[in-house]
Amino acid sequence: MSMAIRIAREEWRLWLRSKVVVAAALIIAVLLAATSVLTINRIADEQVQRMEQQVAAEETFFAQPDRHPHRMVHYGHYAFRPPPPLAVFEPGVDAVTGQSIFLEGHRQNSAMFADTKAGADLGGFAALTPASLYQLLLPLLLIVLGHAMFLRERESGTLAVLLAQGSSGTKLALGKATALLSVIAIFMIPLIVVAAYSVTLGESVLAAASLVAGYFLYLCIWGAIVLAASILIRQRAISLGALVFVWLFAALIVPRVAINASSAAIDAPGKIESDLVMLAEQRKLGDGHNAADPAFEQLQAQVLEQYDVETIEELPINWRGVVATYSEAELTNLLNRFAENRMALEAGQSRLFDLFGLASPTIAIASSSRMLAGTDLATHHRFLRESENLRFDFVQALNQAHATDLDYALDMNRNNDAASAEAARINAESWQVLDEFRFQPDSAVDRLGRARLPLGILLLWLAIASSFVVWAARKVRV
Amino acid sequence: MTAPLEARSLSLMREGNAVLDDVSFSVAEGEIFALLGGNGAGKSSTLLTFLGFLRPSAGEVLVEGRSVHANVAAARSSIAYLPEAASLYGHMTAYENLEYFLDLAGRKATRSDLDSAFERVALAEEARSRRLQSYSKGMRQKTAIALALLRETPILLLDEPTSGLDPVAIDEFHDLVKALASSGQTILMVTHDVYGACQVADRVGLLRRGKLVGSFAAEPGRRIDTETVHAAFAEREAA
Ligand SMILES: Nc1ncnc2c1ncn2[C@@H]1O[C@H](COP(=O)(O)OP(=O)(O)OP(=O)(O)O)[C@@H](O)[C@H]1O
Ligand SMILES: [Mg+2]
Repeated sequence: MSMAIRIAREEWRLWLRSKVVVAAALIIAVLLAATSVLTINRIADEQVQRMEQQVAAEETFFAQPDRHPHRMVHYGHYAFRPPPPLAVFEPGVDAVTGQSIFLEGHRQNSAMFADTKAGADLGGFAALTPASLYQLLLPLLLIVLGHAMFLRERESGTLAVLLAQGSSGTKLALGKATALLSVIAIFMIPLIVVAAYSVTLGESVLAAASLVAGYFLYLCIWGAIVLAASILIRQRAISLGALVFVWLFAALIVPRVAINASSAAIDAPGKIESDLVMLAEQRKLGDGHNAADPAFEQLQAQVLEQYDVETIEELPINWRGVVATYSEAELTNLLNRFAENRMALEAGQSRLFDLFGLASPTIAIASSSRMLAGTDLATHHRFLRESENLRFDFVQALNQAHATDLDYALDMNRNNDAASAEAARINAESWQVLDEFRFQPDSAVDRLGRARLPLGILLLWLAIASSFVVWAARKVRV
Repeated sequence: MTAPLEARSLSLMREGNAVLDDVSFSVAEGEIFALLGGNGAGKSSTLLTFLGFLRPSAGEVLVEGRSVHANVAAARSSIAYLPEAASLYGHMTAYENLEYFLDLAGRKATRSDLDSAFERVALAEEARSRRLQSYSKGMRQKTAIALALLRETPILLLDEPTSGLDPVAIDEFHDLVKALASSGQTILMVTHDVYGACQVADRVGLLRRGKLVGSFAAEPGRRIDTETVHAAFAEREAA
């Protein structure tokens, strides 16, 4: 072991005496620091902002004056998805999914971007996150540092001297691996700092530590690939070229292919296309605003029978409120069916994408990273479902108030004159039906469970890459 | 008494070509044996076989009486090897190079041990803390020789040790090798320098296209006659 450390120390001496290596490491260190600070600031801002916006939206809703209940249904409400603490490292799908939804009756709106300004401010750099630097740039640094680490011993003839002195390929490889490992350990520091910071923002230690461990695994995989190439390949230029090609393949080509392949394999109908089908089905349900719509005849018969009366005017409740409640439930069923279909397709695509991790460790770490940070598609889907529940609950509570708290006759006359309109209102107390909405990340254990596939793939990669190194080191000859 | 180095009917193939053909010799303890031959004769290959880097296609090589290929590690631990091209690290100073190699060989050496080795090879004091990338070929060679000395092994295998050295340094080196031999080290050196070989060796073997074609031993108290060896060398090469 001490021999490995001795060899690693010499490797460090070489690196520190090489201007190219020092410059490359410094550039990456600065880039990492700058990106971390920028991302932390941006995400921390967004988190505070969206939590404030959520509270403000609730307060505004509660503060509405006496109104017709259906006007409140259309007044609507907002649900915000604040970034989870680890989004300071891995903003994940946030950049493409939208983080707030306008909630109103009879509609499921798509998520919007809470602040388009963030993206515009930073230009293309919003995409430059600490996570992407770790995924893409650090492997390149390992390639620069390590592509010749073994073969240069062969080149300079020192390999023969070392072997003649009783060293072995395995011992030398262990020393070189130790050197790369120490580089990886040093470059883990910014991630560890950011992860620790996320813990102060309320992240669980388990999730933060798992994220750190995942990236450590990932970089070790690259270290092993680089080391194996430097043992097996005899010329610097070829080793460098081959490794850069592997990098291009793993970091750019496979992800591109994976995206295309998974959307081709699981065909999600376009938004417009599915909206048209949905509208057609929706029309069959009848218009909930029009209590006289023939679609509600059956309901009418049923309700009249239930209350044992002949006409809707005799009902102890407001027929329009009953219709609104009924049709909202029917419509929501339909909308949810379409929404669940779409989410199932998207989830299928993303599962297929995850499997491409078998072809590229970069995909495996990207998936693990988003899942562990709670910025993955599944979390966004949960946000959509939870905000839909919030929407349905407050809309139905208002419809219920419409049915029970507003007299049918007053309601029917609401358009006669100003005084009638005035009369067709209910007390603002009724707006308290709105539930408080605080979107929370999944528990760390749930997130880890979700990430087990990509994390398992990373472990597999590491096992394969390091056995490759062991095999290559064993057969080292002069 | 078993010879520290022995080749028994050694034949060697490298990439399908016969490089050594039925070569037999042995080097006794404290003896200096010079293997003389032209380019491509198989001199370096012979040394590599003793180190276990190359495997004989027939016959065997023995180090301290044991077959090298039965226990490569044991053979290597008795040998210090000076490769054909001084193989050291350009980004390190002479001190750093030696400290590193000796560390990996599991040999502890103090700064003054290093200095006395540098004295023996006459490496200028001011040069010792300079990186080897600024060294001349001879200075590198001297550093490599100093490393071989510091290994303090019973056997030295030297591949063209005087290449790159100036005449004064060559003479000093010959004195050094003789001193090492008389203190009991066994030395096998390969060279194409007829004069040098005759100056320093107790015995000279003439290698030609993988065959040992001649052997010249020094009479007690005298050196091998350069003219005789040179004539044999030239004749054999011409043949
Ligand atoms: N790495 C190698 N692979 C295959 N054949 C080799 C290799 N190195 C040397 N040979 C061949 O082995 C033969 C002997 O080479 P060797 O290096 O032992 O000669 P040498 O006597 O040391 O020559 P020189 O005086 O030029 O150093 C030559 O024919 C050479 O072509
Ligand atoms: Mg040679």
